[in-house]
Amino acid sequence: MSSKTAKPILRSAAWRISLRATLAFACGTMLVFIFLHRFVASDIQRRGDAWLSGEVEVLGDVAEQTTKNALYDRVVGEVAELVSKEVPNKDPSVGASNDSVFFLQTNGDGSLMLWVGAGSGVPNLKAIQADRIVPGSPSDLRVPGFGVPFRVASTRINDGSYIYLGLSERDELRVLRSLWLRFVLLWLLLVFLGFSIVFFTTKRMLSHVQRMTEAASRIGHTDLSARVPIAARNDEVGNLALTLNHMLDRIEISMHQLHTITGSLAHDLRSPLTAIRGKLEMSLSSGPQSEPSEQIVSAIEELDRLTDFLNMSLDVAEAKADALRLNRVPVDLDELLRVMIDLYEPSMSEKGLQIRLHSGGPLILEADAALIHRMIANLFDNEMKHLPSACTVNLRLSVEDNAASLLLEDDGPGFDPEVFPHLFERRIKGNKSTGHGLGLAFVDAVARAHGGTVAAFNCKEGGARLAVNLPLLAISAGQVVASRKMTITSSL
Amino acid sequence: MRLLLVEDEIDIQSFLQRSLEEAGYQVEAASDGKTAERIAIEGPFDILIVDLGLPDQDGITLILKLRQLGVSAPVLILSARRSVDDRVRGLEQGGDDYLTKPFALAELLARLRNLLKRNSPATSESTRLRVLDLELDLLRREATRSGQVLQLTPQEFVLLEYLCRNAGRVVTRSMILDKVWGMRIQPDTNVVDVHIYRLRGKVDGQGQKPLIRTLRGVGYVLKDR
Repeated sequence: MSSKTAKPILRSAAWRISLRATLAFACGTMLVFIFLHRFVASDIQRRGDAWLSGEVEVLGDVAEQTTKNALYDRVVGEVAELVSKEVPNKDPSVGASNDSVFFLQTNGDGSLMLWVGAGSGVPNLKAIQADRIVPGSPSDLRVPGFGVPFRVASTRINDGSYIYLGLSERDELRVLRSLWLRFVLLWLLLVFLGFSIVFFTTKRMLSHVQRMTEAASRIGHTDLSARVPIAARNDEVGNLALTLNHMLDRIEISMHQLHTITGSLAHDLRSPLTAIRGKLEMSLSSGPQSEPSEQIVSAIEELDRLTDFLNMSLDVAEAKADALRLNRVPVDLDELLRVMIDLYEPSMSEKGLQIRLHSGGPLILEADAALIHRMIANLFDNEMKHLPSACTVNLRLSVEDNAASLLLEDDGPGFDPEVFPHLFERRIKGNKSTGHGLGLAFVDAVARAHGGTVAAFNCKEGGARLAVNLPLLAISAGQVVASRKMTITSSL
Repeated sequence: MRLLLVEDEIDIQSFLQRSLEEAGYQVEAASDGKTAERIAIEGPFDILIVDLGLPDQDGITLILKLRQLGVSAPVLILSARRSVDDRVRGLEQGGDDYLTKPFALAELLARLRNLLKRNSPATSESTRLRVLDLELDLLRREATRSGQVLQLTPQEFVLLEYLCRNAGRVVTRSMILDKVWGMRIQPDTNVVDVHIYRLRGKVDGQGQKPLIRTLRGVGYVLKDR
């Protein structure tokens, strides 16, 4: 658990998903806003233009109908002032001095006739003349000295003079800018909110998946009763948990059936075997003491071999199905090998074989002692059965990556190339082999039940090599998969 | 020695009863848990043999029930399962023992003796073992035959000590592996035999009466007569 949560948040799937979702959301809302912004801007301009066109017509009429006397300037000027007070979108904070509107009347020859507005009006006239503003629809006008362009509408009146009415775009821009500002703030808030919601939702969902993964990896070889936690809601993740648990139910049932079958098979075979053996033994002891019947003796021996075969094939079958029950205790592999060598050495030297142990001292691992004993015995039996005399077996014991590594090397003929690819399968044995062909399958089964591996090689310089790898500590199934992956990559 | 045998397979029950009686036990037999309970309460028994697979109840349940009823005699459990159940392991720690089927009679008898010995008041451990003219000094780890010191390796001494402690009784290969090397394995090679041959070569010198005898199909015996 701790190793999983310690993983940087930036590498989690929840982070990636929320980042992508937020990016898409942010781009989408931004596009929508840009579209809206344009629409609003053009609408404001249209309204401004309509007002300008209307007012310039009114001013034109006023200028036309006002007699050209000394009061002309004052009358038209007053009207223009009045008009400028009705400016649309006007910022109320701006004081009476009005620089958002100007009124300009020129003579037919283009000289300034009347000016109402901020400044002298000369730069405005120059700009108008430079831009060649003609009567018709309003157009933009940039006047030096003013930061913001004007929207100017003009009309020609009967006396040959022109009237220009300019409306600064300042207010329009102010409205748009405030719109923009508000949007950006809201947008940031939304994006942040969206990101948080997506992130925490996916994180919660994935943490449930993570919990399921952890629970599933805890469901080991032996404990099949555990189940993954079920989500309260009936969504996809909840379904996944339910499906996993259904699958585990089925596995548990078939495992239980396997146990029942092997159990009853064992029982059904063992009871008659016990009775037969007992009767044979009794007839052996009741006969003449000095001359035991050869047939009875060999029958008992056959029976013991049959029992041994039965035991081992059941163990191999259970181990292949990951159903072997382990009773883990600390086992010193170094000491065990020394005892084993002590046990096997006389028979080996009788056959002309030598055995040597190269070990760095005590090596303790958590394992099922009885199974490990039988595994080592099988390895030794295997060497004794297949090696011709005058061969040497070298045992190398070491620790590599939290696992005990036991290497058996001999200088014999090596594995039979015909059986080599199937070395760890049941009932596989060389032509000259006298065993029941379960030895290495059993070794493999025990190693796998402990989360370890067995590998076989034929050395180039001759001889066979068996490498047994056993983890020092009991590990769960999930970690076994991970460690197997690692061995594959490292061996590549 | 009164012994209660609880075994539902009639074949096994009858041959066990016969051989146990031959070995000097006074045997009462029961074929199911109910009968066993009844008989067990009636008379005190020195030792019990209980098969795990009884028709009416589980052997473990029976043993626990008998313990509650005040039956304190040690129990030898017979099991047809190879993988030993945790509950059997628990009983084993409680002083009882188990044996998986099929078994050698010699081993059954040896385990019964062990259980009885464990339950009887401890006799002062002797530091010397003597079988005919063979003598073992357990403190100095030295063996002599007719006064002649035998050159034994430590492991051979342990093996000989085990044979001497069971002098006159049959010991099987798996018993030797269990007691001398401390492992319950069944090697399909002759590893134990070679040890015995070597030991015999040292113990039974030329001109001496052979002490270590091989009983083919059964095991070995160190003669005490």
